[in-house]
Amino acid sequence: MMVSQTKAKKSVWKRSLDARTALLYLLPSILLFSVFVFYPMFRTIYLSFFLTDQNGNAALFVGLENYTYLLESVAFRNSIKATFLFVLYTVPTGIIIALILALLANEKLKGIGFFRTIYSSTMGISVAASSVIWLFLFHPSIGMFNKLLNIFNLPQVEWLLDPTWALLSVSLSTIWLNTGFSFLILLGGLQNIDEHLYESARIDGASYWYRLRRITIPMLSPTLFFIVTISLINAFQTFGQIDILTKGGPSQSTNLIVYSIYKEAFVNYQFGTASAQAVFLFICILIVTILQFKLGERKVHYQ
Amino acid sequence: MKKKFKFAYLYMLLLSLIALAACTNSESNTSEQNEENKENNEVVTTEEGKTVISFWHAMSGVGQTSLDSIVADFNASQDKYEVQAEFQGTYEESLTKLRSVGGTKDAPAITQVFEVGTKYMIESGFVEPIQKFIDEDKYDISQLEGNILNYYTVDDELYSMPFNSSTPVMLYNKDAFKAAGLDPEKAPATFSEVIAAAAKLKTDDMKGFSMLTYGWFFEQLVATQGGLYVNEENGRAGDATEATFNGEEGLRVFEFLDTMNKAGTFGNFGTNWDDIRAAFQSGKVAMYMDSSAGVTGIINNAPFEVGVAYIPYSDEAERKGVVIGGASLWMSKGIAEAEQKAAWEFMKYLTTPEVQAKWHLETGYFAINPSAYDEAVVKDAWGKMPQLKVTVDQLQSTEPSIATQGALISVFPESRQQVVTALENLYQGMSPQEALDQAAEGTNRAIEIANKTK
Amino acid sequence: MRMLKRSIIYILLIVTSLLMFFPIIYAFMISFMTGGEILQGKFLPSNLSLDNYVKVFDRLPLFNYLINSFVVSIGVMIGQLIVCSLAAYAFVFIPFKGRDFVFFLFISTMMIPWEATMIPNFFTIQKLDWINTYQGMTLPFFALAFGTFLLRQHFKTIPKELHEAAQVAGLNRFTFFFRIVLPVSKTSLVTLGAYGFLTTWNMYLWPLLVTTNKSVRTVQIGLKQLQSQEVSTEWGVVMAGVIVVIIPTLLLLFLGQKQLQKGLTQGALK
Repeated sequence: MMVSQTKAKKSVWKRSLDARTALLYLLPSILLFSVFVFYPMFRTIYLSFFLTDQNGNAALFVGLENYTYLLESVAFRNSIKATFLFVLYTVPTGIIIALILALLANEKLKGIGFFRTIYSSTMGISVAASSVIWLFLFHPSIGMFNKLLNIFNLPQVEWLLDPTWALLSVSLSTIWLNTGFSFLILLGGLQNIDEHLYESARIDGASYWYRLRRITIPMLSPTLFFIVTISLINAFQTFGQIDILTKGGPSQSTNLIVYSIYKEAFVNYQFGTASAQAVFLFICILIVTILQFKLGERKVHYQ
Repeated sequence: MKKKFKFAYLYMLLLSLIALAACTNSESNTSEQNEENKENNEVVTTEEGKTVISFWHAMSGVGQTSLDSIVADFNASQDKYEVQAEFQGTYEESLTKLRSVGGTKDAPAITQVFEVGTKYMIESGFVEPIQKFIDEDKYDISQLEGNILNYYTVDDELYSMPFNSSTPVMLYNKDAFKAAGLDPEKAPATFSEVIAAAAKLKTDDMKGFSMLTYGWFFEQLVATQGGLYVNEENGRAGDATEATFNGEEGLRVFEFLDTMNKAGTFGNFGTNWDDIRAAFQSGKVAMYMDSSAGVTGIINNAPFEVGVAYIPYSDEAERKGVVIGGASLWMSKGIAEAEQKAAWEFMKYLTTPEVQAKWHLETGYFAINPSAYDEAVVKDAWGKMPQLKVTVDQLQSTEPSIATQGALISVFPESRQQVVTALENLYQGMSPQEALDQAAEGTNRAIEIANKTK
Repeated sequence: MRMLKRSIIYILLIVTSLLMFFPIIYAFMISFMTGGEILQGKFLPSNLSLDNYVKVFDRLPLFNYLINSFVVSIGVMIGQLIVCSLAAYAFVFIPFKGRDFVFFLFISTMMIPWEATMIPNFFTIQKLDWINTYQGMTLPFFALAFGTFLLRQHFKTIPKELHEAAQVAGLNRFTFFFRIVLPVSKTSLVTLGAYGFLTTWNMYLWPLLVTTNKSVRTVQIGLKQLQSQEVSTEWGVVMAGVIVVIIPTLLLLFLGQKQLQKGLTQGALK
């Protein structure tokens, strides 16, 4: 009896060896995540059921009122719309541009290192620095863009002041800012593709587009999957550009959810509604990511 | 065994990395160790025995340069106190931080808080009213500018020491006035005069009038007509419960802007101070409203002659004057007495005419001590730029009243955003009353929540 | 034909580079201009005066800030590389129950907006008495779902046979991880390192919150300090600040390009 018990114990102990080893490897991450991500997230969820006082402490339990208020609020619905539009404007365009640049920079030519550096350069520029630069480019009276339009006798555009343009303008600067990083990741992916695959295709006389479609894209799929996921998540969480370029205006056309959360928490000190918005945003990103993993990872081709 | 050892090794590496971070930190902190041993209300002193206090501010750019040199002068001027001025981000960011550390050992002795944070600070419980020190010290408060003190005086008690103060003014392009056949020495004073002038000034390249899309300017245009922003006597007789800025005074302002916007004589240059200034300086707009603190910079950089005038008022009302804007300095509660003493000495130093003269000239903010204007440096500067005097005249001719004292509500920052949205909606074609009502409704909700959770 | 193709590619390269780099050149130009020139909307400064640069260094303890930025960025970079590679290894090479779930839990941390967790985190740092310390600025960023994800994607491309061969050869897990997996994944490690360094270098709000004095502050805060709110901003000086702040990272990219390149090709060779 005793023996069999220890045996069973031992086998459980042994069987769990993998899990225990894994735990050892995962422990630093789990610890840090618990303290700096999960704990504050639970606190956020908790606060989302309260109204908070001027010091940000839970003061009045209101149940789901923060949520119902949000869903009825025109401003918040507008934020959701702006956020999704922003994601739509920036993610596909950004990745396509980065892919084109990566394909160009993957050619083996003299001085290609120089071009690669230029393409990746925006990765080295902070949101704060780049937004200050773009503020100037977009400037209604002294900005370069309007000067250029003037030269070609085109009507002036109020880049950041016209609600129909503002979100596009912010998207433009965001695409520029993110290109460097996407480019670098995609270039890395391209360089990882086995040369032999291309050689045999060349022998078969396959055209450039054929090779692109049949070799490059499939072989690049893990990298593409990765960059799409990251870009989506980052786009949902864009903050710095908005803060510097538009502060959510004009007419709240660029009031993305994260910026709205920031304002609610840092300026208005309404942690309850800010938390409810954060939870809502989390759910949005979660759904999009699950969809992406469900649809995307099936198509991804690992070597 | 070996495997375990290796793993332990990696863990040690990770831990040592954290430890390393801790060590490098304590090293880097030796110069500013004072932050660390503030516990038990222990007064921090320098090697020479000076009491050290920290002063949190939100002054960046030129303001910071000037402030740093004033602080350095103060530290050199005596051997008892050492003030350490530390930038804490924008007013909002700095206030967020203060909310979190207020009342703990990490709180500074002095904090600069923007004017709309006044009510919050009074209710926060972690500040000591300045009045206490004024009374104890028998400090003569009458030497300071009454119209500035008014704002920060609540229930006959001065809560904080006014510091950087400004009011709005109207700037105009004198060259454009001449070109349009208007008298460059006589700026339009009422809404209808401004509307008429704007129509004359408008050309293909230049709009007639503009205003930064910022709630502060709207508040001023309401106050100068004697209108109140919220009920309960602008929140000064008790907790306000409702916004009143969508009344007739507010509506006149919105109609004033709407008329010009519809006529195409109004230029919208957004919410950024520097954008509207650039527009004015590059000749895209002939008249606009700016802060008195920005005037010097504009006159220096504009390639044309700049006129400065009082802000316009509605034809149906009397001109009542302006409300002060900017920020004031707050003293922390619960810190050692020696530290409060140091903070008070520093505040007194700040209000001396010499320091105020320097501050006024370098930043463009008002001197809270009007004797500063008699200093030779200021007189010289005014001789060169007579326009600067207009800003001071406008402030001093303001009639003290509840309207020009300024509203007192804890949710002011939020309400300002509501007004910004209302202005933006107005420029996009929403009717003045509808836009205003929306902003008032948003403000009411914020007030309601604030009163509920108090 | 080959010649033609080459010139087309070169033209494309040059045009796109110009477009990509234009904003930076523009900022560089403005950094030499006087206030008046900027407001007139010129593109070229009338003379190359270094006044703005002198002012920037005069106003801020910029060297101090730069050193702090380096310490913080390198700290985060090293921390991330260790923590993430360990986690990614577990996800790819150690089969255990609930692995997918744990992985998804990790990924889900990416979806939590940092702005929402910032204030509770600030309280944590304050309770730990880590205000004005390097660990307060670095430690919260060591665990990174993105990094784990990136390395996992790369580790997955390592042939299973290699792992089996290692097991047959009697290599223990850690040796396999340290001697084989890590060297083979140089590309991703270099990418993650660069990413960690640059994102940390560019952080603003968090460093501002957890510092109250100059001792450990970083350059991005300095950049914000140059811009006024109500008083006119001297944009020439701000742009000079922007240039000073981006030069170290750009330089790192320029110099690191070779290393990055090497890492990339080595990765390809396997």
